[in-house]
Amino acid sequence: MADPTLRPSIDSLQQKPTQLAALRDAYEKMQALAGTDNRSWIYWAGLHGYPQWQCWHHSRIGQGSPRGYNLFLPWHRAYLVYWEHAMRDQNADVVLPWWDWTSATSHQSGVPQSFVTPKVGAKRNSLLNGPVPPMLGDPERFTLRFPGSPNRLPTPSDVDGLLALTSFVDFTAQLEDIHDLIHGWTGGRNPSSPGDGGDMGSVAVAAFDPIFWSHHCMIDRIWYLWQLRQGVNNIPDDYLDKPLAPFSLSVRDVLDINRLGYEYVDSHESGGH
Amino acid sequence: MKARTGAVSGRNILSGAAGKLATAAAAKIIKKAAASYRKPAKKYTGSKISMEGFSSTFSRADLKFDGVDHAGVSYEARIFFNYPEADESTPLTLDYGYAGRFHIFGHGGCFGDVGHCEIREQRRPFDPRPGHPLTPAGKTVIATEAIRQAMKKWKEVTITVVPIVLSGTKLCDYEDVLKFDKVSIVTYA
Repeated sequence: MADPTLRPSIDSLQQKPTQLAALRDAYEKMQALAGTDNRSWIYWAGLHGYPQWQCWHHSRIGQGSPRGYNLFLPWHRAYLVYWEHAMRDQNADVVLPWWDWTSATSHQSGVPQSFVTPKVGAKRNSLLNGPVPPMLGDPERFTLRFPGSPNRLPTPSDVDGLLALTSFVDFTAQLEDIHDLIHGWTGGRNPSSPGDGGDMGSVAVAAFDPIFWSHHCMIDRIWYLWQLRQGVNNIPDDYLDKPLAPFSLSVRDVLDINRLGYEYVDSHESGGH
Repeated sequence: MKARTGAVSGRNILSGAAGKLATAAAAKIIKKAAASYRKPAKKYTGSKISMEGFSSTFSRADLKFDGVDHAGVSYEARIFFNYPEADESTPLTLDYGYAGRFHIFGHGGCFGDVGHCEIREQRRPFDPRPGHPLTPAGKTVIATEAIRQAMKKWKEVTITVVPIVLSGTKLCDYEDVLKFDKVSIVTYA
């Protein structure tokens, strides 16, 4: 059996120029493909909100259940798995990094530097923004961000509080709330045109922003850390066979990340002598 | 855990405007929405909730919001007890009755045609699809210490919720942001 992919933090990825270059390369290639191509940025990001509206947030009924249930975490885990494979179709060496918005670096400077730099050498930085398809009479454009003050980001103790919750239903609701904050914080409002928020702040267009994927990688990692503490299969039984459309996976299929072929890792290095 | 609740109704959710947007009429919607871009979001102050009858030995206490609309902007909702004058600048401390906050990641307005954002209440038998994505959300704010303090200080509380818009699109109303069915105080033994 092949070794799992090791998803790193953005902080550690930024110390590894080859991995960072692979991420930029994969995103650049996906962004260059036409939206009608099902390998493209627009195709995959368009599954979340506009135009395909497949994402899952909050509780709903349906799929045979008379009471509400919330597939927010399993649905986004499946989405990231498919996304990571689409990335690796473009660059076999790429890994999806997680954005630790609780870190000291994030609390100092907000969105990671590698996702803010406008250019890399003479080229456009594919982590800065992503293409958005034409909609509502507007032509195709690139995403925008107007992030808030870094001191409003969640802290490590906020995450510790989540990890102590013992019920999946309770945990997913509280984690989703922090997720909601990060979306609004990262999108923000254009100070000169307050009706034009940054794309991360709206379900419809959030996934077109490259930071979306690393934000959700952090959410998925927190679920994984919670599973390590509270149990991999700690989820209501009636969730297990729910399909995670449009992906060919059910909730049961995404509980164990090792079976999905990835693992989370954090490393810090220093040069030898 | 055993739950004990006290509740008060919120305003009606999902006004007609949220459910009847049309792509063809987008310009009209945008023009109307533009009038709200620079206004502060309207806050909510409910009727009184009795704090009597709760056991004082609870291990956890929540503020539970049902039927929260998430069709529009993304926002932070700050909750205060017995401080109806609270606004965006009010300190987030127990001295001012601050109890906690929740966040909404908003849909961003309606990007579809007429009826796209209307939520069908009735489901046909054998419909295998999940419910509508804009099914109103539930939000639970863990506010154990704030509720414990409130029970010591007051026999009843009035809840004020101050929404602060974080982000949105030109299709969103930035003023009438906060819509929910009811808010409850729930304690667990």
